[in-house]
Amino acid sequence: MAAVPRRDGEARAWLESIGRQAQPVTLARDRSISLPGDLGAVVPGAALQRGATLTVAGPVGAGATSLALELAAAATAAGEWAAAVDLHGTLGGEAACAAGVALERFAVVRQVSPDRWATVVAALLEGVTLVLAEVPRGVKIGDARRLVARARERGSVLVALETGARWTGDAQLRLHAAGGSWHGLASGAGLLTGRARSVRVDGQGEAARSRVVALVG
Amino acid sequence: MESRVTRTFALWCPAWAVATACRADPALVGAPVAVVERGKRGLVVRAASVEARTEGVAVGLRRREAESRCAGLVVLDADPAAEARTFEAVARAMDPITPGVVLERPGVLTFPTRGPSRYFGGDDVLSTRVLDAVHATGVVGARAGVADGRFAARLASRIAGPGGARLVEPDGSPAFLAPWPVGVLRDVVDARDAAAHGPSWRGQPEGTAKSTRRGEDLVSLLVRLGIPTLGDFAALPAAAVLARFGADGAHAHRLALGLDEHAAPPAPPPPDLVETCELDPPATRVDEAAFAAKGLADRLLERLEVLGLACTQVVVEAETEHGEHLIRCWRHEGALTPAALVSRVRWQLDGWLRGVASDCEPGIPARSERDHEWEHGGLSGGLTLVRLAPDRVVPATARQLGFWGGDAAAHDRADRALARLQGMLGHDSVVTAVLAGGRAPSERVRWLPWGEPRDDGLAVGAEVPAWPGAVPGPSPARVHAPPVPAELLDSDGQPVCVSGRGDASAEPAQLRCAALPDGGGAVTAWAGPWAHDLRWWVPDDGRTRCEPGYQARGRSLLHVTRRRRALWQLVVGADDAQIACLVVVEAGRAGVEAVYD
Repeated sequence: MAAVPRRDGEARAWLESIGRQAQPVTLARDRSISLPGDLGAVVPGAALQRGATLTVAGPVGAGATSLALELAAAATAAGEWAAAVDLHGTLGGEAACAAGVALERFAVVRQVSPDRWATVVAALLEGVTLVLAEVPRGVKIGDARRLVARARERGSVLVALETGARWTGDAQLRLHAAGGSWHGLASGAGLLTGRARSVRVDGQGEAARSRVVALVG
Repeated sequence: MESRVTRTFALWCPAWAVATACRADPALVGAPVAVVERGKRGLVVRAASVEARTEGVAVGLRRREAESRCAGLVVLDADPAAEARTFEAVARAMDPITPGVVLERPGVLTFPTRGPSRYFGGDDVLSTRVLDAVHATGVVGARAGVADGRFAARLASRIAGPGGARLVEPDGSPAFLAPWPVGVLRDVVDARDAAAHGPSWRGQPEGTAKSTRRGEDLVSLLVRLGIPTLGDFAALPAAAVLARFGADGAHAHRLALGLDEHAAPPAPPPPDLVETCELDPPATRVDEAAFAAKGLADRLLERLEVLGLACTQVVVEAETEHGEHLIRCWRHEGALTPAALVSRVRWQLDGWLRGVASDCEPGIPARSERDHEWEHGGLSGGLTLVRLAPDRVVPATARQLGFWGGDAAAHDRADRALARLQGMLGHDSVVTAVLAGGRAPSERVRWLPWGEPRDDGLAVGAEVPAWPGAVPGPSPARVHAPPVPAELLDSDGQPVCVSGRGDASAEPAQLRCAALPDGGGAVTAWAGPWAHDLRWWVPDDGRTRCEPGYQARGRSLLHVTRRRRALWQLVVGADDAQIACLVVVEAGRAGVEAVYD
């Protein structure tokens, strides 16, 4: 019987790849969330280190929100929980779903006044693995430092989305969505299909040298 | 051919919560009393005494509103355990008349009339006997109804006079049901729905998960469709109702037709599902017995779950050390959830153990609430055996948890943190998205407060119904609802308008909006407009034009209003920093509805 070739090789390979996606968060030795596909090229090691703080910035329309949602999708795909602080109630739920976020494990907190913002983010860092927080104006530098420390202590990932104001605390990785051109739409014809976009990556350690990564889609 | 509908007797004691309170404290008799419970909108009235009702206090009012309507209103908190305990006296009074008593909830019981009615010589004699027996226990104002089918019998008891009976002649249920408004279906559908999405893993107490609005949705939709009565609803073809309203609608339709709730009589559950627990030493305290019963209930539901079954009717049996054998049957509109089953078993054991007999004698002061100070009401000793037998099982339709499950501890941690934020910021501040059908991006997602049951009608990969006029392509990551005011101009600097036929007045050349960087810019590519009429069924909200009334089935149904809206997909800006957005033009005004960020 040993000579009979396995006929389920494809299925086994598929199962293994799913297993790899789910694996890192359950093992203590590799405390990271793996990033699939293009995103893996953006972040060194193709994984988000738990306890890290990232910033995602970019002008309106450049793709910063989509990039942040893709990070949240990577967390929920690994079975973890994610939450977003949505200052203006504008986050697109359908876009989150399209980015691959498991909506049943993705909570959105709205109507957060700036003076409570730090408390809310701290409470979320206690409870969920990835917190996507839009940064309001006037966050105190002390609050920002405390949040970075809280994320490190709890092993959660803090993604500061710099749509309103800059993040004044530390960050291991700073992603800057630089936009790009859209495909599929002409004057009075066609439909938006996708875009070429690029992300500038700065950071500490492995990512210390600034580089620009082009993403497809 | 349909199986014959079971002729059923229903006994209804109105405002049972108030009757229980009056029994515990005789000083309340004759006073305006309202019993409140915590609902989604805060404390709302669940039951009110006759005196309070004449002052305008109605079930469902908020506590404050009720107090403002009736000066001197005595407001009490609901105590379901006490209600069930006192109702046991009524259930016991039925024992000499029929063995088949089914408790629906405290205050309502039903039984099939076939045996007892023949024995006593007719439905009217039977009703008299039952009402006399109930009256003898000290309960006044109980009402009886007899009809084909449980639903019709319960409605018949609602229109019987106090202390009277309403008999619906055999085969008369469809005609009896026909004039009732469809609103009576609301609670039935809600109970089914709450059971299907019940508190399976959240550990919520029963009742808090009943925030679903399926019943309300169905009823309001039927009314808007011009189907105000059960008769009109029953006249629709069953297949069409199933196709349009799903399983809930089909269930409601069967009830409206006067049929039994199950299309085929459910198969008797296998006898080996009975769970038994012997108590040694005999349990003489409610908490001892209830603790044993909790394990029993969990084991029973676990075994049923493995078989893919859910239980809608359960028999609770107990034996005492002197050989007494007690049996009571409890029924639930939907399937019994663990919390619901445990509370029913607890109520029942409580009723047996804590002297119901002495409760029935008026004038006895309120007893001490300490558990060990009960009198053996009709029982000569402690309980030695508790048995749970599922009496009626149906296929389980509850939601299945994800295959990968997830870490239960992580789940609890997230739940706690989010519940804390809800306490800090308000219930509606922490939300979760559910995909819904719609054309504009803001309509395609519903945001539900965290913790409310998600009905994933449109899960990922599910077949999404077609929405003609919806904007295809990628989903925008920033959605502005309401749209941010903007100016969409043509090459001459005039605003671009959309005609009633959906044609644009000119090609858009310029978009100005405060929400875009640099205030907008030149339009480099565009598609649209996609025009559609919006919410024409909603009454006029001032912004829209109202057209003459619409006649449907001889009734003036609604005012038809038209909101014509046109959507454009635009790309603004130069090559390296293009911004794609969705612009809506409505009533001559433009706005940025979404940005592809």
